Amino acid sequence: MILAMAIGIGALFGSGAFLLMKRDLIRVVGGVILISNAINLFIIAAGLSRGLEPIYPIEPGSHVSDPLVQALVLTAIVITFGTTAVLLGLIYRIYHGARPVDPVSSASRAESGVDDPEAG
Amino acid sequence: MSDGALLLLPLGIAWFSALVLAPLDGRRRSVGLAAVAALGASLTAWVWLATRVWRSGSIEMFAGNWGPGVGIRLRADALGVAFALVSIAVLLVALAFEVFGRVHERALPELVLFMATGLTGIFLAGDIFNFYVFFEIAMISSFVLASYGTEDRQVRAALTFTLVNVLGSVVFLSGIASLYHITGSLDMDTVAIRVAAAPTGSVLPVAVLIFIAFGLKLGLFPFHTWVPLVYRDTWPAVAAILSGALANIGSYGLLRFGAGLMPRELAMTSGGIIVLGSLGILYGAIQAIGARTAREVVAWSAIGQAGYILVAIGIGGKIGLEIAVLYALINALNKLTLFLTIGLRGWLVGASFALAAFSVAGVPPTAGFFGKLGLLRATIAHGNITLVVLVIVGGSLSLLYMFLLYQRDYWARPEEGPASPLSSRLMVLALAACIVAVGIWPEPLLALSARAAAVLTGGGA
Repeated sequence: MILAMAIGIGALFGSGAFLLMKRDLIRVVGGVILISNAINLFIIAAGLSRGLEPIYPIEPGSHVSDPLVQALVLTAIVITFGTTAVLLGLIYRIYHGARPVDPVSSASRAESGVDDPEAG
Repeated sequence: MSDGALLLLPLGIAWFSALVLAPLDGRRRSVGLAAVAALGASLTAWVWLATRVWRSGSIEMFAGNWGPGVGIRLRADALGVAFALVSIAVLLVALAFEVFGRVHERALPELVLFMATGLTGIFLAGDIFNFYVFFEIAMISSFVLASYGTEDRQVRAALTFTLVNVLGSVVFLSGIASLYHITGSLDMDTVAIRVAAAPTGSVLPVAVLIFIAFGLKLGLFPFHTWVPLVYRDTWPAVAAILSGALANIGSYGLLRFGAGLMPRELAMTSGGIIVLGSLGILYGAIQAIGARTAREVVAWSAIGQAGYILVAIGIGGKIGLEIAVLYALINALNKLTLFLTIGLRGWLVGASFALAAFSVAGVPPTAGFFGKLGLLRATIAHGNITLVVLVIVGGSLSLLYMFLLYQRDYWARPEEGPASPLSSRLMVLALAACIVAVGIWPEPLLALSARAAAVLTGGGA
């Protein structure tokens, strides 16, 4: 089981890292999603244990699996989801250039880095 | 009021007001002022909490009335309180700066409040996973904040910032999962005890993961690549928030996780940490001298200043950690003032900039003098002559780049464009006055840093 987890995490992380190198921003987001999920699996793997489901009532002396990592990964999945949504939103704004760009100020700013045409 | 409720007060105020204000249009003056008031209330609660911690030591509670070992621990000690006071104050000033000027996007006040929630939670967390959750609340609001502004380049800077920091969070999360795997606990105190008993070979890789994650946030030398671009292109108030408040997560995290949870690994790698910090100091200073624009100079300077903090952490011990806290707090104040000042025009602005620049270079009577002096003291105590020389050379270089910049931007340049609103100029002047005030009367800050370092070295709260 540990071997299967390790291979799965490695494959997910590797494909995510590969996608991150692409120029296409949507693929980059795909890479981020894959890497985040590799880490979510990693959390599960950190508390991997064999046993009964940890639901009350538990018979005394019986062995239950670690429920804490399940709770952790649930939180981590929600956070991954939020981050992905923010990333997609940013990329949408980049592709659609939602902002009205003032050509004069942006040219002078691009020239100097800030709002100071005299610098440098 | 009971201690437990007092702990929840700063967190609750920021969180609740962020949720209430979220659907409202932040561009309206009333909403902006409400957000400033809420943040002010949260800061007041922190001050209250700080005086309580100061008098009677650290306060802790377990969420939901669970017992120790089961419930999630929330804790206020001198270290968390010191960082929280400065970070929330930075957020408050930057938000007030935008609200009294002009808010360009509707979500700004709410995002700053959400970031205050995240930072408050981080500084209260006594549990490593809880730390991560609040860390992500702060990070996600910073991703959106980074895109705040009126131009496309802010969105591009936000994308770079987001991608780099998401990967940083992933590294951090894997570090936390590994810590759980090694210790079987998430509670910081338990983790610290069990890590000390675990073999170094398994803890060291985790320590490196966590070091990389916080190094990324702080903008330390080998992980700094996002810093110049993001600090150059984001909106001034946002750059002030990112460098003055959010970067504190990096220094606080290095102190809490490094010196607090894994002191043995920190001591083992202290040589490497000092070398990295020294490289950062020199590299940041040299790049700052070569940089063309004000924002770039300050961004590279931020990388150099992070190097000083790292050197202090590497020196370690009571004096090193004390100086690391002191330096991080003063640096936050300097960066806030510099980033807010750079965008402004008109008289009084040059004076404010000069004072903040003096503080970065460590010239008396500014706050930065005590940071540099303390660092010099720590390096002399450490007994390494190269480090002493490095601190002096680094200080001289920062004086050089700051005054090249001052000369270029405030002496040689004819005043062009309309002057900025008087309220903004008065605000940066007040910040500069604060820097001088701390420089003249540094005892409270010195005492606070000493208490904060004592938390880590086990000398009580």
